[in-house]
Amino acid sequence: MTTALLDPPAAGAPQEPRKISRKPVGGDAVFVNTFRAIGASVLVVTGGIGVFLAYQGWPTLHHYGLSFFTTQAWNPDTDTLGIAAVLVGTFEVALVAMAISFPLAVTTALYITEYAPSRLRSTLVAAVDLMAAVPSIVYGLWGFFLIEPHASHFAVFLQRTFGWFPPFHVDADPNAAVPDISRYTASAFIAGVVVSMMVIPMACAVMRQVFSLTPESEKEGALALGSTKWGMIRAVVLPFGKGGIIGGTMLALGRALGETVAVLLIVSPEFIIKGRFLEIGSDTVSALIASQFGEATGIQLSALLTAGFVLFVITLLVNTLAAIVVSRSRSGAETA
Amino acid sequence: MTIAPSPPVMTPPTVAEQAGTEPVRVDMTAVPLPAPAPAGAPTPEATAVRGARLDAHQVSAWFGTNKVLERVSLAMLPGTVTALIGPSGCGKSTFLRILNRMHESVPIAKLSGEVRLNGEDIYAPSARITETRRRVGMVFQKPNPFPAMSIADNVTAGLKLTGKKIARSERDDLIEDCLQRGGLWAEVKDRLNEPGGALSGGQQQRLCIARSLAVSPDVLLMDEPCSALDPTSTRRIEETIAALREQVTIVIVTHNMQQAARVSQQCAFFLAEQGTPGAIVEAGTTEDIFERPKDARTSDYVNGRFG
Repeated sequence: MTTALLDPPAAGAPQEPRKISRKPVGGDAVFVNTFRAIGASVLVVTGGIGVFLAYQGWPTLHHYGLSFFTTQAWNPDTDTLGIAAVLVGTFEVALVAMAISFPLAVTTALYITEYAPSRLRSTLVAAVDLMAAVPSIVYGLWGFFLIEPHASHFAVFLQRTFGWFPPFHVDADPNAAVPDISRYTASAFIAGVVVSMMVIPMACAVMRQVFSLTPESEKEGALALGSTKWGMIRAVVLPFGKGGIIGGTMLALGRALGETVAVLLIVSPEFIIKGRFLEIGSDTVSALIASQFGEATGIQLSALLTAGFVLFVITLLVNTLAAIVVSRSRSGAETA
Repeated sequence: MTIAPSPPVMTPPTVAEQAGTEPVRVDMTAVPLPAPAPAGAPTPEATAVRGARLDAHQVSAWFGTNKVLERVSLAMLPGTVTALIGPSGCGKSTFLRILNRMHESVPIAKLSGEVRLNGEDIYAPSARITETRRRVGMVFQKPNPFPAMSIADNVTAGLKLTGKKIARSERDDLIEDCLQRGGLWAEVKDRLNEPGGALSGGQQQRLCIARSLAVSPDVLLMDEPCSALDPTSTRRIEETIAALREQVTIVIVTHNMQQAARVSQQCAFFLAEQGTPGAIVEAGTTEDIFERPKDARTSDYVNGRFG
């Protein structure tokens, strides 16, 4: 008696692909649905904020029309309100912050992952993370009392050197025997310097994470060819970490755009598009909301909420873009 | 050749520890070799041999306080493939990584002794680590081309990394020459601009060999270059090794006895016995090691009775 090892090919209808159920059953189903609900609640909260703010925007647009986006002044007494100036101010502060934080974050992350001795590494990581834990108001005070007096003198120097370029111009004479320092204080530049310190930890953490994922084998491959350490970093670590560099920078930008308290303490509010970021006077969307919220009523309150909606949309876009860039890069694909 | 004994490059834990076990000393210079012909009577064949002589002298190594190599001395000669064989954990790879100063990239790694490249200690304070690594190239166990770079850029990456400029016309010639010598040219000549990561494992490994050759090394170290490859790719690599033997001194670590027998002319058997650091048990011509081993442990290993 022998057993046939092979079924004889059955005659009849050609085979169809069989359906395979991937639906979880029993305890699996409870688990999956519970966590799906928790995950969904995050989307509901974010979506709810957006819907609430957008809903508030309707009366604003009805009352002020599209000039809400083009008016620079914010003058509740004469009922002329617009966010053109604060939007520009927001980007001025954020750009200054990025210009300072980007090189610092990249080099700090590289130092921590590639150069720091292992004993120093954990201390440095903790120190950078601690920067994220310092409350905004402390940064604001630090900026106001410690940074501003020095940064304003640096601003004088910047105007002296680059003053021919309009954004670096200030309506004051930098070459006077005693320059009028008060013209150089409370500016978008100084607010940007302070905000840059607040966004470094976030950018640095993302970059550090990505750099540390660089395959050791590729690093050794470069070193074994006779490369210097810096050559290896340029050929292997930076290309590998490109997605993390861009993504971390954009996350930091998202935070810089929304930063409120430090800006509120430092800038002196001014609702004109000057394009001169070293000069006294500027404002950002979030600082505007914080400063006006207490006295606003009716349509002006609605206008503030609309400004908040615009900021919400901008930061959402920046963060989404950052997430896409990170996940599409090689390093991001390996972490996700 | 006289070299004054210099102090250890990195501080060994204690002298007593060094002298703890009697090291096995092997003077490879005394081993008769089939090639090259003795100096003084150069044959046409001998003058064609390129590559440098590499001498390990009393090399010991530690990871932290754990000693992994005990006074290893070995001469690796031009025109010769030297195979390092032995069971896992016997220090072969550590020894190989000492030969081009990759060992010290591990923070807790230490070593003593000397490694002489054409008579000059590569661990001397005046020796430049980048120059040593350029002259002593390395092919790793896992193929590691730069995945985002094109095949052509992978070949020339070493030039860029060592700061060597090359003219456009010479560049194309160099890429072809290196890929020819790596045995990969015929397969990739029509797709030099495709990324290196798109090649198969065996092709990637040959690309890594070609990449190493582009910086014109004197010695090529190979750390189990075929362990991640299928038999066909392994044969191609072995053919490549045979073709390169006259151009560069080759040292190869392998777990595959047949491979050691096929590709090498010299062979060194490493062993780390229970609780002792790795050392060379026996070294000599491959023929002697496989056909007439002097030590019983060598005989057991090459005949597959352990390891």
